[in-house]
Amino acid sequence: MGIEVGLNCPACSGAIKVVEGETTVNCQYCGSMLFVEGDAGVTTISFKNMITRETAVISSASWWKKGFKARDLKRVGQVTECYPIYIPFWSTTTRVAGWICGYEERTHSDGKRTYTERIPKEELILRDYRFSEIACDPGDLGIRKMRNIDGETALTDFQTIPTFESTTSKDDAFAHAKESAMANARSDAHVPHITFENVHVFPESMSMVYYPIWVVRYTYRDRMYLNTVDGVTGSVLSGRAPGDPLFQSLAVTAGTSIGGLLGATGIIVASSSGEVAIGCFVVGLIIMVGTYLFFRGGSEITEGDFSDRGFKLGDLKNVASQLTQGRVGGNNWGDI
Amino acid sequence: MQVIQVKCPKCGNPIYSKQKDTVFYCTTCGTMHIRNGGVQVLDVEIGDFNKNAPQDRVYVPFWRMYSTVVINNVRSEGGGFQKLTSWFREGDNSGNLFIWVPASEMEIERFKNMAMDFTLNPPPYNTRMDFGTVPRLPTVMRQEEAKEMADFVVVTIEAEKPGVLQYLDYTLTVHDAKLIYLPFVSTQQGLVPAF
Repeated sequence: MGIEVGLNCPACSGAIKVVEGETTVNCQYCGSMLFVEGDAGVTTISFKNMITRETAVISSASWWKKGFKARDLKRVGQVTECYPIYIPFWSTTTRVAGWICGYEERTHSDGKRTYTERIPKEELILRDYRFSEIACDPGDLGIRKMRNIDGETALTDFQTIPTFESTTSKDDAFAHAKESAMANARSDAHVPHITFENVHVFPESMSMVYYPIWVVRYTYRDRMYLNTVDGVTGSVLSGRAPGDPLFQSLAVTAGTSIGGLLGATGIIVASSSGEVAIGCFVVGLIIMVGTYLFFRGGSEITEGDFSDRGFKLGDLKNVASQLTQGRVGGNNWGDI
Repeated sequence: MQVIQVKCPKCGNPIYSKQKDTVFYCTTCGTMHIRNGGVQVLDVEIGDFNKNAPQDRVYVPFWRMYSTVVINNVRSEGGGFQKLTSWFREGDNSGNLFIWVPASEMEIERFKNMAMDFTLNPPPYNTRMDFGTVPRLPTVMRQEEAKEMADFVVVTIEAEKPGVLQYLDYTLTVHDAKLIYLPFVSTQQGLVPAF
């Protein structure tokens, strides 16, 4: 559903509604085909706010209990403000059609020698990718992309709830959509070494989507925090919360102990099995790095798209992924 | 923003239609045109239905592009012949062909299959002067997009042959693009050619 502009048919003067962003319209009275000249504009859609203040507060309180947040947050935390706003997002779908060709290398070892196998690959990419990005400065809300695309659209709330002004251009959003689609296509192709690439990206018309977000501000031991709640689904989208010193201490103790033990095990078995030793070292290293990350950022837990870093569980996955990339992609521990 | 009544650029008669389409068809003189930064009259062909075709008839628009392909270098693993060069005269690395690209909205895999099928096996059809009372699917793909898609079809022809494509150096020149409406019938299995 888009914003409709009321006009008159130039042929019969009948009232017509032109959906913003569309270039053709049929007059319902005389059947004339009409064409919209000039700036076609952008289709604008607003989602209906489906939750109440109480639901936003309950959802936030439920989020406070999860993860490694301060254990007394649920009891001590006090909501000071809770209000809805509309945030603008650029949204489009891009169709990608093309081929990505190349090869993948897999290194095998039979204990005595290692050899590398080259597996040629040609991957067809023919699919649609959805793209969204925030169309304003989100400040410290921790929201960069639209997570949900299903919901009831409405125009009434749109006029009564405060709205962030759009500050980014449609052309930039188109460029980002193309870059994103290309990156997604390359990622989906799973061709590590590309020798030939022919990919075409076709963005559809860009829409501006106003999405309802509840901002919940709260205090915990004289410090201010904030989280946001999706105004359509009711789930927490992003937020900052205090960490717990006890979890940090336990993590340091357990992490360094287990990491150290695995390292020692690696040294002991190094003479009998090289692969097991390297495996122990790598897993130990992952645990140590994860422990450090948790200790460093564990005083504040963040969820969402924040530019600064609190502790996120995703950090551990990234470390593990980078350290084991040789194993996953090429079965080659020697590259680590 | 200004709304104007669409009139045929050839005979000047207003165009009436119940469906939205980027291509405007004049029922008076049969001219089709598009408005994309200016009025452009299209070169259009309409295919005739097979006499035995059932009643659920519909016209599906395709861009048919007369193109020249020059293959400079192809490398693939696993051997196999090069499909495009096998079409060209013996010893030639270039040739001409019609590339077909569906112009209406359709499911993505079906889009690829139709483009490949019609390009490799050009559909035989008789032409007629108008659509009669048969509805047509709206054209959603612009000519410029169709030319890019022609490039995709060329690579797909080379890639979807025995062997794994590793490198392709080629040039594609699209000389002209014609909008062809081909006759189809709607069945439970989807659209089926009826020419």
